[in-house]
Amino acid sequence: MMGQSCEGVQGHRPSSRRSRKACAIVLPALVGLLVLVLAIPGCRRAYGDLDLSMYQYRDTRNLVRFVYDAALTVRDEGLGSLESFRSERARFRTSETYLYIYRADGTNLFHAGMEELEGRNLWDVTDKNGKPVFQQVIEALEDANNPHAWVHYSWWEPGRFFSVPKSSCHFKVETPDGEELIVGGGLDYPHEEPEFARILVDDAVDLIEALGQGALLEISNPVSKYNYRDVRVFVFDRDGRTLIAPAINSTFSQTNLLECIDEVGKRPFVQALGELEIADTAWEVFMAKDPYQRRLIRKCLYVRATTLAGDGVYVAAITDLPEPPY
Amino acid sequence: MSEGVEERGYGVNQVPPVGHLVVSAIQHVLLMVTSLVLPILFASQVSESSGFAASLIAFSMLAAGVGSIIQSVGLPFIGSRYLCPNVCGPSYFSLSLSAAWVGGIPLMRGMIVIAGLVEMAIAPIVQRLRSVFPTFIVGLVVAMVGVSILAPAVSSFFGLAFREDAIRTADILVGSLSLLVMVLANLWGRRFAKMYCLLIGIVLGWVLSLILIPDYAHDLASARGASLFAVPTIGPAFRGIAFDLKLVIPFVVIAVSGSLKSLGNLLAAQRISTPGLEGTDFGPIRKGLLAYGLSTVLAGLLGGMAVDTSSSNVGLAGATRVLSRWISVAAGVIFVILAFFPKLIAVLSMMPKPVMGASLIFAGSFMVSTGLRQMFSEAWSPKKTFVVGIAFFFGLSTAFLPTLYARAPQIVQTLFTDPLPTATIVAVVLNLLFNLDLVFRRRKNGRGRSNDT
Repeated sequence: MMGQSCEGVQGHRPSSRRSRKACAIVLPALVGLLVLVLAIPGCRRAYGDLDLSMYQYRDTRNLVRFVYDAALTVRDEGLGSLESFRSERARFRTSETYLYIYRADGTNLFHAGMEELEGRNLWDVTDKNGKPVFQQVIEALEDANNPHAWVHYSWWEPGRFFSVPKSSCHFKVETPDGEELIVGGGLDYPHEEPEFARILVDDAVDLIEALGQGALLEISNPVSKYNYRDVRVFVFDRDGRTLIAPAINSTFSQTNLLECIDEVGKRPFVQALGELEIADTAWEVFMAKDPYQRRLIRKCLYVRATTLAGDGVYVAAITDLPEPPY
Repeated sequence: MSEGVEERGYGVNQVPPVGHLVVSAIQHVLLMVTSLVLPILFASQVSESSGFAASLIAFSMLAAGVGSIIQSVGLPFIGSRYLCPNVCGPSYFSLSLSAAWVGGIPLMRGMIVIAGLVEMAIAPIVQRLRSVFPTFIVGLVVAMVGVSILAPAVSSFFGLAFREDAIRTADILVGSLSLLVMVLANLWGRRFAKMYCLLIGIVLGWVLSLILIPDYAHDLASARGASLFAVPTIGPAFRGIAFDLKLVIPFVVIAVSGSLKSLGNLLAAQRISTPGLEGTDFGPIRKGLLAYGLSTVLAGLLGGMAVDTSSSNVGLAGATRVLSRWISVAAGVIFVILAFFPKLIAVLSMMPKPVMGASLIFAGSFMVSTGLRQMFSEAWSPKKTFVVGIAFFFGLSTAFLPTLYARAPQIVQTLFTDPLPTATIVAVVLNLLFNLDLVFRRRKNGRGRSNDT
């Protein structure tokens, strides 16, 4: 009955002419959709030689692309490109990031955000926590586990007077004159990419395999690369006892990690160790409480197994995972 | 929408010619696929295999498709017979995730079945709620249905994938142009451009985004690996069904909240399908809620995500005046068929976010304005001012100040969840409270008359 009243107002019988008109308008739209489907094989990944699939956030991907583009320019044009960088300084600086170019000895050649650093040598400069930033950049560039040479530290925004967390990526290029230059750029207030934790855990495994017990001192050092922001590489044995604790720079509390449960009652460490029975690496997602959010948030645990003094140990780090926008 | 514009389209019971039926259904399906981000997100959050994600999406689509058919086809005791298709529902997202975390997919399935049964139990009660839902509260509920898609609509419009993402200029451009094309085609377009304004806007926006933003072409390239045809498989994760007493109360609360949202959608669908109707006809609403509950049960049994009736599709129907329920049936059939074509699902679910956001804003604006018009269609009074005003304040506060309620007492957290259920609950309670004087007066007058006699 209700439907009839509506039909009375709106009812009509479309003619074949109208249908043809409809086709004329709608068919191109449908053809467009079809083209989209057919276009898939033709779609190539942008920056085909630059794999960005490990990054979750587009800000991170954009930064790597931005630095990579600049690195290609420096590689092709050499020191001559510096003039064009300097003349278009604003192009290489946004509110959250800026580009810089260094010689391998730590001398700054171009800084889009802090012009006053140009010409100065920053080899020994440390951040507020004592991290030797440039030396860590050099180390990162030699690190096979770290393809985009990420370094995490505290810095300050141009013109400001308080510290901000920063993560920077770098590319080493050889100019046509044969000089090695370092092109880099960083994000202020960076996102916590799980890839960052992966790099450091893999590095820590390599270090333990190379140095044995001596590696633990370096890994637990608060100003080493293995500790940044709230992320910390830690080590535990098969029984869950910590050799480097995940939350404190001491092992006095001896929380058994295998007994730890998350907010929904799961045992992330037990599950991760189970995964490591059949794989070399384990990513275990678990739930945690954030006092300022109603729903639980996700964190992830990245674990690898190795041996220390003949005993099996596990190297791990915990980091945040991206949250949906609403 | 209808002021000054010729009232043409298809009535709720009309069967459009096949061409129009199919194209209109595709237009609705494009809006429905925006909800596929939920099972995709869900699969990524429980970090299962790609096979798991494919099955979850397929089962969710099957449940939503069959639910849409039941809702609109016109079975004797079930289904509203309005254009009101089902989609993968956001209402149950967080809670389903918690269930999956605690007891895997079997527990999620069991709890969704319980929620669906609760929704089916609520359906017959609605008919008795005429006095609780006077016209102005129905209008408020419909308006809040539009408001409830604000967060996904606006965050998608600006192309946000994650909470901390920065907004890119190119995304704003694509979103704005898509929305502009949809709106202008609807306002100034002749019949077919008007009827298919959303489809035209989506295609233009999509092409533009592929040209301007490399990420979207990159995303599209990842669909290459998906197979063209596949029968959804019941993997080990989907076997078994489980229940947990601790989760019953939260699921019942969400079931009530989901029913309120569907109530709003069905009321809006009724409002646009039968403009001449005085008041509300609760018969189709009851049958519609029953169909909604059954679809939720079906989703649980199949192993898909719980379904919701789709506000945006009701909005699209209102905006285009193409109201035929058979379009909803056809859209349901297409959704079911699509579930067997993973490559097509992959492509469609990669609709650029700004285009998706533009579609939701386009459809949501109609819901908001329909609700507001209905709300103010009857004589106003100071009581209504406070009922609506206070309900708006507290309803919208859940969207504007979500962190505020994160540390509230549990009872407040339970009642103040989203704009729609919160505003509805507050409005209903205040309306009953503010009318107590009338109840007392009636009783007093009744006693007076009996004394006189």
